[in-house]
Amino acid sequence: MQQQMILLVFLILAGITTVVFTYVYASSKKAGQEKQGMSNPLRKRFWFLLILFVVLGIFASVTIPKSPYFLFADETPKKIVHVSAMQFAFILSEKAIDPKSPSGEPIELPANELVEFRVTSLDVNHGFAIYDQSNTLITQTQAMPGYVNRLRHKFKEPGKYNILCLEFCGMAHHGMRSSFIVK
Amino acid sequence: MFKNIVFTFVTINSWFFANAQTASGIEEETNIYERIYNAPIRVSRNQQLTFTDLNNKKPLLLALIFTKCAGVCNPFLLQLKENLQFINSDNPFTILVLSFDPRDRLGDMNLLAQKLGLENNKKWIFAVTDSIALLNQSIGFYPRWDSVRSQYDHDALLVGINKEGYITKKLIGIRDKLDLDLLISSVNNIYSPTYRLPNKNILFSCFNYDPKTGKNRPGLGWLFIALPAVLAMSLLLSISFIVHNKLPAE
Amino acid sequence: MESIKIKKITAVWIITVLVLFIVSIVLGILMRLNQGEIIEQSPITFYSNMTTHGLTMIGIWFVAGMAAVNYLMQRYVKTSYTANVIAYVLTVIGVLIFWTTTFVGKFHAGWTFLYPLPFKVMWATWATPLFLVSLTVFGLGWLIWSISLMTQLLKKYSIAQVFAWQHFRKNPKVETPPFILITMITLIGIITCLFAAVILIALFFAEYFSNGNFLNDALLMKNLTYFFGHTIANEMLYLGLAVIYELFSEVSGRPKWRTTWYVALAWNLTLIFILTAFFHHLYMDFAQPEGFQIIGQLASYLASLPAAGVTVFSVFIAVYRTEIKWSLTNLLFFIGVAGWVIGGLGAVIDATITNNVLLHNTLWVPAHFHTYNAMGNVLFSLAFFYWFTNQFTKNIEDGKFTKLTLAILLIGGIGFLLAFYIGGADSIPRRYSNYPTDFTAAAPLATMGAIFATIYLTAILIFFFKIYKGCLKILFSPS
Ligand code: HEM
Ligand SMILES: [Cu+2]
Repeated sequence: MQQQMILLVFLILAGITTVVFTYVYASSKKAGQEKQGMSNPLRKRFWFLLILFVVLGIFASVTIPKSPYFLFADETPKKIVHVSAMQFAFILSEKAIDPKSPSGEPIELPANELVEFRVTSLDVNHGFAIYDQSNTLITQTQAMPGYVNRLRHKFKEPGKYNILCLEFCGMAHHGMRSSFIVK
Repeated sequence: MFKNIVFTFVTINSWFFANAQTASGIEEETNIYERIYNAPIRVSRNQQLTFTDLNNKKPLLLALIFTKCAGVCNPFLLQLKENLQFINSDNPFTILVLSFDPRDRLGDMNLLAQKLGLENNKKWIFAVTDSIALLNQSIGFYPRWDSVRSQYDHDALLVGINKEGYITKKLIGIRDKLDLDLLISSVNNIYSPTYRLPNKNILFSCFNYDPKTGKNRPGLGWLFIALPAVLAMSLLLSISFIVHNKLPAE
Repeated sequence: MESIKIKKITAVWIITVLVLFIVSIVLGILMRLNQGEIIEQSPITFYSNMTTHGLTMIGIWFVAGMAAVNYLMQRYVKTSYTANVIAYVLTVIGVLIFWTTTFVGKFHAGWTFLYPLPFKVMWATWATPLFLVSLTVFGLGWLIWSISLMTQLLKKYSIAQVFAWQHFRKNPKVETPPFILITMITLIGIITCLFAAVILIALFFAEYFSNGNFLNDALLMKNLTYFFGHTIANEMLYLGLAVIYELFSEVSGRPKWRTTWYVALAWNLTLIFILTAFFHHLYMDFAQPEGFQIIGQLASYLASLPAAGVTVFSVFIAVYRTEIKWSLTNLLFFIGVAGWVIGGLGAVIDATITNNVLLHNTLWVPAHFHTYNAMGNVLFSLAFFYWFTNQFTKNIEDGKFTKLTLAILLIGGIGFLLAFYIGGADSIPRRYSNYPTDFTAAAPLATMGAIFATIYLTAILIFFFKIYKGCLKILFSPS
């Protein structure tokens, strides 16, 4: 699970930071009267920055092309699901949803096929986040009034998926949810 | 009094627009990414093709009309022809003008092509089919016969079909060049992660989609995002100017 | 005379900030307790408390930084006492109005009040316009204050000097102290984002008074909201850094930090990155042009470079194998920098678009921003408060007691934050008054957060009692 990896990486980095700060602090406590300090600080600073820059550069160039806006861009979705979010429910339909009398139906999607969600909102900003059976967030987009966001995804495993609202939308925000089945 | 008039005008106006928009808005969204029915079509006396034959070569823009139309069909095709003259898209496409009236013969279609001055234009194909009912159904297009006027009651419809034979986008009504551009990129499978819903009410729309590049193009709203920085910088410069150019007497 | 007045108003700021801080922490603990199902609040109460907590916290730590910077700036230029007092009065009025809308009016659109949520009234109808009025009052006071400070700087330094451009050349004739440079960069950022707020509020009011004839664009409004919200939350950290640059070496008994070409360059670049990084709040809005999304990720990454390479490194150089006078002040600075770095790591992770898909609006977000606020910026300000009161009241420092308080602060803070981080990695949404039952870990984590936050609060209370007496003494001492 990617989230657990992220947490692990973060904890390791935070641990390293803590160790470095503690070490620096301890070195000051131990230092005697004769001023030692850091030798060649400008050089060290330069190398530190360069390494950081290169690492971040690599990171950016690897991850940016995998951003959701570019995913599955040259494939045709097998299925389209129209989503209209409103306080405090999601309406899902395979047919286009009429904003005047919105209505939907239970959704079943094929596994391992490209699916496109066309997500919009009928009132305020909402989030459209898909959670798998183990309740892990797998993908999301925002539902913004006036715009349709196209979220493409291939579901690998059959089962029930939940949809939660991930943009605060008012007093029943935490109860705003829906689900669909992948077969 | 004046206020009332304005108010009434605005209300009527927005009511009218709202209706027009949502109606077309929802119908444009139906049947998207469904496969178009692979109907056999006759392009000339001795040439029988199918949809697949055509869209395999180039993506299609399908215009559904009937030749005896006293209404929207003619202006629709004229406008389409005109708009396409100003589009120099690198993305390939063919325009297929197909009759949905079973009474139309190939001759009628050729006549129409001549009337429009398009009989020799390679981009345009005029054809008839004998499977119109199935085709209409796969598009979600339902013209109604009005026996009183002896006319079909129907929308002007342009359907985008990509090379794989899927409907990618529909345009209902006589639309402008910008929408046409969007249609052409969609049949060429140029994916844009978003599109705007039509709404004339929003003045400062932030970004306008540019179908030519497949990118959003900053609209007026973009200025509003740049404005704070511009204001802060001008403030900085003017304060600096003022405090350093005080008269010596001061 | 003038400097005595500034001293007194600074003491007033400190007491006000600390009192409001304690109230806001209590609201925070109540939120965590409710999420942990230990107490039961109605969602409306929860969300209006959340709105109060968010905006009050942002507001107080912003003004705390401003008050500290204003006080220290006296060393270089004369500052306006009037502007300071106006800012104080308007801030207090703003808080009173704002709290009325949330506590009485039950306004609960969140401190980010994303358009059009404030117009979908689920509270007293007067609360929406009044909330906008409170924002206007804050904005006015803070604009006056920051523009006044900027003007004073510009009276002494030319534009090139105030941005330390002369340091790009060899052997500059005049030196721009780091404190002046950082303050200037930060003030520009603050003024810019306050202008964004002005435009935002104007657009809100335009729609409010147009009877439906004028509608805003949700995407533009969201951009403006985060231009204001993200930027002000970041700039208040930089105010804290300006204080560190001025005071760290001084209280450590070390030579003053100097501006060099790379310090000048780093801070000039920071100005640009900090004003474009807010785009990372809109990653999940596919409607935002892709170019801006990529700028968002790059600017967020790049913003960390000068910070890490210059500020953090300078702190290391000042401390590493160097005997210095450790006191509560520079210990708080030191730990605060560590907290700031760790929170920054969490932020950089989240500012990566591919991660953001999985972390956006989960508890990861409060996790990282509470790290650099509760364990970063708050410590910067506490350090200043402590240093300030110690200047004028001979507070004998009790080494053991100080260490104990710090330990409590750290234990409380770390436990409180861990509950957020684990929750974020567990896909638990943020801003949920009650968690759906399928998140089995959510409620226990919230309870854990509440317990540790109470420990954190204990440490804050200890600091409060140490500091407030000194402040009162300063306030009532004869001028
Ligand atoms: C120990 C002290 C603190 C506690 C117990 C606390 C608790 C909380 C809680 C429970 C939330 C809601 C989390 C959620 O979305 O579910 C929250 C949100 C927030 N907190 Fe704190 N917090 C503390 C300190 C701070 C500090 C120092 C700041 C300084 C800026 C701060 C700023 C915010 C902001 C801006 C929000 C977002 C509100 C929103 O989502 O609208 N908090 N806090
Ligand atoms: Cu919602």
